[in-house]
Amino acid sequence: MVENSKGWSDRLWGVFSSMRLGLALLGIIAFVSGIGTVIPQTELDPEKAKAVGQLWQAMGFTHLYNTVWFRLLLGLLCINLVVCSIQRLGGIYHRTFKLKPPSNLAQVPQKNRTVIQGELAPLRESVQKVLKQKGYRFTLSDQSDPWGFIAIKRRLGNWGSFITHLSFVVLVIGALLGSALGFKGYFMAGAGNTIPIQMIQISKGQVSETFSVRINSAEDRMLPSGERDNWYTDLSILENGQEVARQTLSVNHPFEYQGVTFYQANFSNGASFTADINGQKTPVVLQDQGRSYYQAPGTDLYLVTALDPSSSSQKPDVIFQVYQGNGANPIQSGKLTSGQTIDVQGKYKLTFNGLAGFTGLQVKKDPGVAVIWLGCLLLLGGLLLSFYWQPVVISGIIQSENGKKGSLTVGVLSGKVTTSTREALEQIVSSVTKMLR
Amino acid sequence: MLESLETAMFYILLMACTLSMLLYWVWLGSKKELIGHLATYLTIIAVIANTVAIILRMITSGHPPLSNGYEFLLTFCLGIMAVHLYAEFRYKVKSLGAFVMPIPFLLLMFIIMSMGPEERIAQAVPPALKSQWLTFHVITAMFAYGAFAVSFGLGIMYLLKLNKEDHGQKSSSQGIVSRFPSLEVLDELSYKVVGFAFPLLTLCIITGAIWANYAWGTYWSWDPKETWSLITWIIYAGYLHARLMYGWKGRRAAWMAVFGFAAVLFTFFGVNYFLPGLHSYA
Repeated sequence: MVENSKGWSDRLWGVFSSMRLGLALLGIIAFVSGIGTVIPQTELDPEKAKAVGQLWQAMGFTHLYNTVWFRLLLGLLCINLVVCSIQRLGGIYHRTFKLKPPSNLAQVPQKNRTVIQGELAPLRESVQKVLKQKGYRFTLSDQSDPWGFIAIKRRLGNWGSFITHLSFVVLVIGALLGSALGFKGYFMAGAGNTIPIQMIQISKGQVSETFSVRINSAEDRMLPSGERDNWYTDLSILENGQEVARQTLSVNHPFEYQGVTFYQANFSNGASFTADINGQKTPVVLQDQGRSYYQAPGTDLYLVTALDPSSSSQKPDVIFQVYQGNGANPIQSGKLTSGQTIDVQGKYKLTFNGLAGFTGLQVKKDPGVAVIWLGCLLLLGGLLLSFYWQPVVISGIIQSENGKKGSLTVGVLSGKVTTSTREALEQIVSSVTKMLR
Repeated sequence: MLESLETAMFYILLMACTLSMLLYWVWLGSKKELIGHLATYLTIIAVIANTVAIILRMITSGHPPLSNGYEFLLTFCLGIMAVHLYAEFRYKVKSLGAFVMPIPFLLLMFIIMSMGPEERIAQAVPPALKSQWLTFHVITAMFAYGAFAVSFGLGIMYLLKLNKEDHGQKSSSQGIVSRFPSLEVLDELSYKVVGFAFPLLTLCIITGAIWANYAWGTYWSWDPKETWSLITWIIYAGYLHARLMYGWKGRRAAWMAVFGFAAVLFTFFGVNYFLPGLHSYA
């Protein structure tokens, strides 16, 4: 029974340590990802995604990258990478730190090798001198006949592939951390508004923070050339009504507070009003084109507004409409100039104060981001080691012919690229021959 | 003034590129060294004109060359020709020019045929594109894509030479392919070029992720362009693994280099024309 289970675990290990599985998984992931770029995805294009056939939707093809089976593929790839890396760890360690000099001729690499004749002692000395000069680390054999050596340069390059593969696991951990502990949300608010962070529209995760955000101002700034400079939002963080932080953010210049980051994502024009209900004045900011409304407390009156396109852009007028209940037609409408006050259905007085910016902010908390950057760093470092820092391993053996003279057979492991390793061997050989002259 | 100088540079680039491509072909057939030298000089002129055009564009527009397809294509051409020149000098493979130069030539033809003057002028960039990370993103893409184009050329050369040799014409002195380096050299060179480009493609994806995180708050959103760059990355990762572990050299490797470049082209063009997404301006 015990033997049987050992057989199973061995077999499972065998399956996951195969690179064939890894490559097959990569191929499947590439193919499936490609499908996701052809079928509309809910996250990018909700309208079109809804139009896709029910069967496809049910199978998750419209939210492909979030499906359990896509994540399962990534998970399997991760296990495969970990098992492969563990499997190769010992070998890499030995190839880097525990190099053994050859004890017979057969152990010298055969594909690229050269023989140099000479006297024993000078041969030995010059080999060591040349290796030292060229920056090799080397190990010499204990025995004197035959005498062998093995030398390595850029030995850290051996770790490139290991680091690269493990970086994926780090990236996946980062992504998991983000989706488990973070949240993603969005809100649109006008200048002067204060929004509790708990009230924003959340698309992923849950908000545990309790602070509020006040939009001090929002601006669409233009350059003298007429080109858009950027959208700016002056924002304050309030804890129990007290301002604890304040910053101006813009696209590409986010602002972070306690791990929650605010990104400038959108902007639109709006108008600022004051509603006076029985002497109690409330600031009201409404978005242009009727994209937001105001319902005066205790009434079923809904107010929407739009900037009057025919008025001056410096000091525009607004057109307003008041709807009652579910009524399709406005019960009151008109035009207001800056500073003008009107009476709304005898319930409250409305004053138009002037223009106000409306800002759209993406809000995100992602504790995994730092881990993601670490993963990227490892990935890049691993690849640079793999491809720009390839190790050269040279080994050789000196066999005496008559106790005084002998022949040095030296060879180089061909590695990934044969030409450059061959060059390294040629350099060593020519330096040794020069020194012997 | 600067704009007309830039236009002049574009036409110098176009002429130098076209002529050098033709001369590389003539050189392959005629084996006259003078023609080979001329082809190389013209490529150098094309690279200089391309660089000057991009610099002038950056001066007039005040941002890296990425506000429209025209600027991206110019950058792509520069990447291909620069990597090709390096490979030609470093590894002494003049014949490569006959297979690589048609790529920038076709890209420039695409600009001439499909983009009117109004599509080529510098445009205002949206706030999201105003980021230093974007500069790194474009530079890494330029060299990575350029190198992949060169490995594509090497792959084609390998397949042509292999085909000739399979038909019994053992590198006869008559055939064009006799001007090619040996199969082994072509194969290894292609691997080296991919090995150079792969970390750059990775860096390109990473800088894109960092920038996206600043601009939109997500480092990866499975937007079609991102996804296709990942697919390209996976194809080349497969190329490298298959080579190291299964010894997939020669014919299979050459086909993968060709196939990988097809994915590069699709990421560059196909996504913009067939699939919508965040990169729609690019």
